[in-house]
Amino acid sequence: MSFESNTAKLPSGALPYRVAGDGPPVLYFHAAGGARATAGLELLARGRRIYMPVIPGFDDTPLLEPVATMRDIARLGAEFIDTVIGEPADVMGQSFGGWAAPWLALDRPDAVGLLVLECPAGFRPEGYPPPSSDPELRLKQMFAYPERRPPETRSEATLARNREMLHRYHGAETRDDALIDRLGEIETLTLILLGTKDGRMPRESVQLLKDRLTRAFLVYVYDAAHSIETDQPERFANLVADFLQRGETFLVNQAAATGAPAISATA
Amino acid sequence: MKFSYTHHMPYTHVEEGGQDWPIPNKQFDPEKGVALYREYIDNKVFAEEVGFDWIGCNEHHMSPYGLMPNPNLTAAAIIERTSSAGILQSGNIVPLTNPIRIAEEYAMLDVQSGGRLIAGFMRGIPHEYVAYNIAPDDSYPRMREACELILKCWTEPEPFGWEGEHYRYRAVSIWPRPVQQPHPRLLMSGSSPDSVRLAVAFRATIGLLRITDFESAREMKNLYTDLARKDGWEPGPEHFMVGMPCSIADTVEEAMATLRSGTRFFLGVLGGGIRTAQRLVLQKTRYYREEAHRERFPGLAARRETPLEELMEKGLVLCGTPDMAIAQIKRAKAELGHGLMNLNIKIGNTPQSAVLRTMQALRDHVFPAVRDV
Repeated sequence: MSFESNTAKLPSGALPYRVAGDGPPVLYFHAAGGARATAGLELLARGRRIYMPVIPGFDDTPLLEPVATMRDIARLGAEFIDTVIGEPADVMGQSFGGWAAPWLALDRPDAVGLLVLECPAGFRPEGYPPPSSDPELRLKQMFAYPERRPPETRSEATLARNREMLHRYHGAETRDDALIDRLGEIETLTLILLGTKDGRMPRESVQLLKDRLTRAFLVYVYDAAHSIETDQPERFANLVADFLQRGETFLVNQAAATGAPAISATA
Repeated sequence: MKFSYTHHMPYTHVEEGGQDWPIPNKQFDPEKGVALYREYIDNKVFAEEVGFDWIGCNEHHMSPYGLMPNPNLTAAAIIERTSSAGILQSGNIVPLTNPIRIAEEYAMLDVQSGGRLIAGFMRGIPHEYVAYNIAPDDSYPRMREACELILKCWTEPEPFGWEGEHYRYRAVSIWPRPVQQPHPRLLMSGSSPDSVRLAVAFRATIGLLRITDFESAREMKNLYTDLARKDGWEPGPEHFMVGMPCSIADTVEEAMATLRSGTRFFLGVLGGGIRTAQRLVLQKTRYYREEAHRERFPGLAARRETPLEELMEKGLVLCGTPDMAIAQIKRAKAELGHGLMNLNIKIGNTPQSAVLRTMQALRDHVFPAVRDV
């Protein structure tokens, strides 16, 4: 399942995006590493049409002047849903993208079906140091299985610019108190994921989300670090697909009743 | 030195040796079983009065080797009749059981006892996998994942799900939570390098319970220490528990006769069916992943033939007069530097009178002399 590149004409400006799969639409906010098609997303795209806008400035794309904050990224996502998808969509966000996604659910609940937050940034407990910038340590914190990473095709300059984009959108902040104060207003049913080996996000950050969101499930993905989609693609895809298909009834084990095969990389 | 009282609660009215797996349960006489359970639980309760710091229960299946397929039931009975001794579950066989259930039952025991639980996470001995039809090759991955999940059950303040290799749960929030925070003290096996590595990851006390010589036990202890230091912490004597059979009498001859007779029954009758199943598991699976450890298993079998005199010479048993037991404890401490000893007094069909004689000797003579060792 390969992702195709395209460009959307939005009120805020032209926005490159990547898209793959067939099925109900999913808007996906990527992480600080940029817009990458991970093994987990490719598996998920077997039953979902995944739209991955390239957040302005990432992967050498041009900045859009009206988009300068995390909340602006959420507004851009709403424009994308209205203009390109044309119907409410489930929304996912990974790490950096998981910071923007709740703003979208807060500001435009009519545009959002279900919400999935993968090890989201922006909810770091007070007093916690920021994630390490040491390359070796960062790699260890990101991946339990670095060998599963897809080959890197982007230049070092592009990756460095991607990291600079974090400062454009949220400065040195690692905690969005304005958003945290309003989490209780979000009524969208939400799935929160954290890898049991995640070295970037403390578990207190997802516990805070679970505590504040009124309708949320928190699931730990075993033997995955920060990049759950890369470390455990099948677990990620099966879990998210089940949640997106069944909503809160995903609590009930129906494997025997449906006979539905799990998503497998070898299928 | 602290001491733990272990008692496998064997069914001693089987007489035929060398039976195959599984041993037919038509040999179990329920009336005799009633009496045995009463006697054994009385003994465990008496252990607190004797001065044992912990009272142990352990899980074994489908054999007269031990009548505790669920040791948590035994622990619950002991808790109600004791007030200060730690309750060592050594333990639930984690890969065989629903880990949520273990987290729940252990939390119950911790609350019921007022925070006295020592939570043992054991992988079990090979025949248990035949009994519960779990693939022995999966034992380590199941063990590691289940241990992480159990700790999550105890420490997670919000309801959570778990998407794992062997276990999947969508919403977990156990009631009760343990009294001890963040969780009860942990104990795991230290019988192989793989086991030691796992125990260090959880900072668990290791049980060196089937040592064949001081040197191999020291290897496991040193490995534990090295790995802990690499992880940035320093283990103390409380992280090492050494297990030994124990028989004390007024004369060394009497103590040896008791231990020799009980051991003969234990190995010849109680261990019969288990060995058959173990042999099959070890032949056909990777239960012991490390070749060195696999090769060690025949050594354990060979130990059956090791004369008691030789075991005493090596310092691997507590056997003799009270003064001899004191010296043996001090020798083991000097060799291994551990802070805990797990004593097994009811070996095989050791008579109740001999069990009580040893316990009284520990209370009156031995423990007062070695508390500060």
